[in-house]
Amino acid sequence: MIRMNKLSKVYRTHMIETHALRGIEIDVQPGEFVAVTGPSGSGKTTFLNIAGLLEEHTGGDYFLDGVNVTGLNDNQRSRLRNEKLGFIFQGFNLIPDLNLFDNVDVPLRYRGFNAAERRRRIEEALAQVGLSARIKHYPSELSGGQQQRVAIARALAGSPKVLLADEPTGNLDTQMARGVMELLEEINARGTTILMVTHDPELAARAARNVHIVDGLVTDFVRREAPSLVAVA
Amino acid sequence: MFFYYLKLGAVNLKRNPIITALMVITLAVGVAAAMTTLTILRGMSGDPIPHKSDRLFYVQIDTGPVGRENPNGEPDAQMSYTDTMNLWRAAKAPRQTPLMGTSDTVSPERKDLQPFITTGLAVGADFFSMFDVPLLEGRFWSAEQDKAGSDVVVITRQMRDRLFGEGQSAVGKRLMLSQRELTIIGVLDTWSPLPKFYRLVGSNRYGSHEDYFLPIEYAVRVESGIEGQVSCTSRPDPGFQGFLQSDCTWLQYWVELAEAGDRQGFADYLVAYVNEQKKLDRLPRTVNNRLRDVNEWMVQQGVVDNDTVVATWLAFAFLAVCLVNTVGLLLAKFSARPGEIGVRRALGASRAEIFSQFLTEAGVVGLVGAALGILLTLAALAYVRQYARDIALLTEMDWLMLLTTVLISLVAALGAGLLPTWRACQVLPAAQLKSQ
Repeated sequence: MIRMNKLSKVYRTHMIETHALRGIEIDVQPGEFVAVTGPSGSGKTTFLNIAGLLEEHTGGDYFLDGVNVTGLNDNQRSRLRNEKLGFIFQGFNLIPDLNLFDNVDVPLRYRGFNAAERRRRIEEALAQVGLSARIKHYPSELSGGQQQRVAIARALAGSPKVLLADEPTGNLDTQMARGVMELLEEINARGTTILMVTHDPELAARAARNVHIVDGLVTDFVRREAPSLVAVA
Repeated sequence: MFFYYLKLGAVNLKRNPIITALMVITLAVGVAAAMTTLTILRGMSGDPIPHKSDRLFYVQIDTGPVGRENPNGEPDAQMSYTDTMNLWRAAKAPRQTPLMGTSDTVSPERKDLQPFITTGLAVGADFFSMFDVPLLEGRFWSAEQDKAGSDVVVITRQMRDRLFGEGQSAVGKRLMLSQRELTIIGVLDTWSPLPKFYRLVGSNRYGSHEDYFLPIEYAVRVESGIEGQVSCTSRPDPGFQGFLQSDCTWLQYWVELAEAGDRQGFADYLVAYVNEQKKLDRLPRTVNNRLRDVNEWMVQQGVVDNDTVVATWLAFAFLAVCLVNTVGLLLAKFSARPGEIGVRRALGASRAEIFSQFLTEAGVVGLVGAALGILLTLAALAYVRQYARDIALLTEMDWLMLLTTVLISLVAALGAGLLPTWRACQVLPAAQLKSQ
């Protein structure tokens, strides 16, 4: 689903070159739940941004669902991002002026679905995260955990192949984090590939596979038989 | 997607309401200033008869003694009776008419109405077809009645309503003008071109229109009073006949040619006419004729005064200043939303889609600004109407000007939105998403 060959990323200013990623090799299979861990500044967010087509890599190749994304223009990358990927952020990133329906509607608009199809998907996605009753509410009227569930609904509404999560429980208390994590596991169990960046080893332990990044290099793989279902502390 | 962007634009009007209100007011004030002056300028300078303005010509012949020519080289704006009648009777153009302002006392038959003084025009029969004057009832006078100077008159609808009651037929009834009895043969439908391009000399160009129309031969025959400008370089012989035979200029003369291209031919005819007159010891000055079409004549007569042109330029400069302010306000409004832009980019919006969304949002501001701008323009025009009565009739806003207001506001807002929108497109989504 996600294959990177010798993928590198160099940030250049007029004086300095910073090597954020140095030849990443990774192959994420369809339906996998992969946790990406590493210390601060190791390059895991850069890795996720490149995986999410939000940044361009400077070396190597990246195949997303069989499509080589190297050299694609902005329109092609945006289309691919919209069709194949869903995003969950640490800060939820809901649009405050739009109600839940309209927030979940955003990616579907860019997909070009008709009104009936969009409504069906929005209602289904919000039902999946248990927020059907709040469809006309605004983000500010929800708790943090509920907002993250809306973000998950928004990510799911377009039926993405891959869900990219960047510290999805980082802003939540333990109980809410547990709920969100269980939801992600359920989504993964239904076949959606999940790539989750986290610095929390307990959260990472719940993924089927861990990828550890240090100084822009993948240094370790841990493959587990199945995700454990212990509570997140 | 356009309607989605419109909806977002409407939703986002509520975001930063103070900035939004400032933008709308700034834009509306600029647009209103521009549209107020533009409405008046258009009223002054618009082509009043576009389908034939290049075929209607105003004729001038240089009359008067040598040595007293106009310093600007222009012949007199009007012509003498002799030249006007010579040209009119020669009828070298398909249509032609002399034109003379008159003023008479009207004595109504109705006892409940007091006599009143009003103005009219003495013209040739071609006048009505040349200037597309609409007829409500009856007919215009014939060429025979023209030559005979028959006692007939055509009145306006307003005059008919005043004298005989609204909607009452006036055809065949009598009209007493300065104790002379005429028969009403026709009533004009509403006809009020502004400026009064057919009579730019000796009358208020933006003032009220004439109430009645007489055959010019009749007006001369009864020695009707002249309402307008008379210019003499020497004292005429005594009596009305002496006045008619003098070189005093007091008549205006229009011709309608079949094609605009016939102009040179008619100009040549005028030269030949002047040379013929010279043989009769008339028109001693060097041949100095003018043949101007409607728009050229309006320009020559300074129909659009410089103050109005300058005011229009200043108003548009003010609009430009308002736009610069709007650019700043839009920058402030859009720069507060990098997070939203980052999210939309992450969810699949291309730069082009972000560009379209934010430009549409600027357009929505333009539409609201247009609505307020129209109200302010109407208020400004009402103010002008109140305090500048000589141009009051030019302050009407028609559908074209309303549409122009919307378009100017929209184009202005879109223009002002380009830079802020372009900057919005440059937002790097990755950086914004992490910082949220």
